[in-house]
Amino acid sequence: MGKPWWHILIISAIAVLLTLLVLIIFYPVPDPPSAEMKDAREAVSLARKNGAGMYAPDLYMEAMAAYDSAMAEWRRANTIFIYRRDYSKVTALAALSEQRAIEASSISLNSTSNLSVVLERELKELNILMAEINRAFPAYPLSTEVRNRISMGKMLLKESEIAYKGGHFLEAERKISESRTLLESSYEYADTHLKSYFRSFPQWRIWVDSTIAISRQNHDYSIIVDKFSRKFFVYLDGEKITEFTAELGKNWVGDKRRRGDKATPEGMYKITKKLEGDSTTYYKALMLDYPNEEDTIKFREAIESGSLSPSAKIGDMIEIHGSGGRGADWTAGCIALKDREMDSIFKYIGIGTPVTIVGSMYSLKQALKR
Amino acid sequence: MKSRILMGMAVIAMVAVLSGCGKKPQVEIDATNAAIEAAKAAEANVYLPAEFAAVQDSLNAVMAAIEAKEGKLFKGMTAEKEKLAAVTALANQVAANVAAKKEEVKKEAETLLNDIKNVVTENGKLVMKLPKGKEGAAVIEQIKADLANVDSAVAEAQGAYDNGAFMDALNKIKAAKEKADGLNAEIKEALTKARIRF
Repeated sequence: MGKPWWHILIISAIAVLLTLLVLIIFYPVPDPPSAEMKDAREAVSLARKNGAGMYAPDLYMEAMAAYDSAMAEWRRANTIFIYRRDYSKVTALAALSEQRAIEASSISLNSTSNLSVVLERELKELNILMAEINRAFPAYPLSTEVRNRISMGKMLLKESEIAYKGGHFLEAERKISESRTLLESSYEYADTHLKSYFRSFPQWRIWVDSTIAISRQNHDYSIIVDKFSRKFFVYLDGEKITEFTAELGKNWVGDKRRRGDKATPEGMYKITKKLEGDSTTYYKALMLDYPNEEDTIKFREAIESGSLSPSAKIGDMIEIHGSGGRGADWTAGCIALKDREMDSIFKYIGIGTPVTIVGSMYSLKQALKR
Repeated sequence: MKSRILMGMAVIAMVAVLSGCGKKPQVEIDATNAAIEAAKAAEANVYLPAEFAAVQDSLNAVMAAIEAKEGKLFKGMTAEKEKLAAVTALANQVAANVAAKKEEVKKEAETLLNDIKNVVTENGKLVMKLPKGKEGAAVIEQIKADLANVDSAVAEAQGAYDNGAFMDALNKIKAAKEKADGLNAEIKEALTKARIRF
């Protein structure tokens, strides 16, 4: 006897349901793109750690945007019926994100590596330039503006070194550039000024050679003052017998042009008077025959050409005197020595002794090396 | 017969439960996002950038894991909820660490500011003892220009400090301090050479 029909119907229904259930469970569903997304995420993270945000910002932003789009696409795909889902767009976006992140990372690493090398070299160059400025122009009378530019350049150089050490290469690069602009322009200005001053070197050299020759010829003393090195040399029989440090007028660069310009004159002079006691303010003094005939002619020409005001007066009372040793160029145009140095030369330097004052006894190149 | 019907219904109910219990943990996601925003508001990205980035990376990983689960038939989100809780805790920790780091940077900036102010004051006094200059008036002028620049850097750093930008203030002051110390040494060396007591 068979089972009743409804019994068979129920068993069949259950069998169909179970089959459906098995199908639902085991029917292949598309795999979520977890691995691709993980790769993309890790690549983006690595790019960020490698500084891609700074050194390859466009690519890095593209990588991040592609990752965000992939996530949004994934969310959208997940809203579709499970057996009809398609993650190909998500996978493509994840791959794009990973690719861009890898590129950004690579560029960033190359940039930082290259930049590090470049910046190290630039810092070295700037420090050399700074050392050159410190060597060539410490006592050179530069304008306040130029001094400020040098100072700001130095400060920026310091800041860029700190930024470089901290791995902030872009900040270091910017500061190096600013520092370079300030230091180079200041250096160029001062250098041009100095070179222009040294155009008179051939004339200075003639004066120096002539003064030494006179000393040799007369078997007598001669004095040479080298303004650039601030040296005071005494020659006897054409041989240098002693040297002192000289202090000059505040605006020592260039020849004296008028009274009150605080410049120390350049030329060949002679001692006209020896002063001591109450007759001089500065311990002991050797008066020079400034202005000589050549100075007077130059002064008149300057007035006539209009390069000096008609009311300008020619300077005078230029001496070699004591009260020096201050370490500064402080005189109104005279040459100051220490009192004990004045004592020593005062004994043997007589009236009529040649005194030649030059910008430098050496060429600019030699003078800077010294 | 009854038991078979019941068994069938139980299977269907189990399937329904298994597929339905994995709802997106939105509450936990919101809480984590809020914790990250709080850390950002506390300037974690400025004072602890690496740690803050790590929190964001962790959240991204969890969000991807959630989406992966969303794509499955059975969406058990228990593990993801735990991960979100861990990220929230990490974000809170970073936010707490920021406060400590900020305080540390603030103190360092404050100390350096005080130090540099002392050096600046000392430099100001020392340079007055150099009326005759080191190697000449030009050198004094350069030192004075350098001192003026240090002064303006200190003022800038003080401004950043007063505005609560302690990291910015610290970065500014470090360079100025180095420069001020350098000048101090330069002036003292000059005074020593000139045998002037200071």
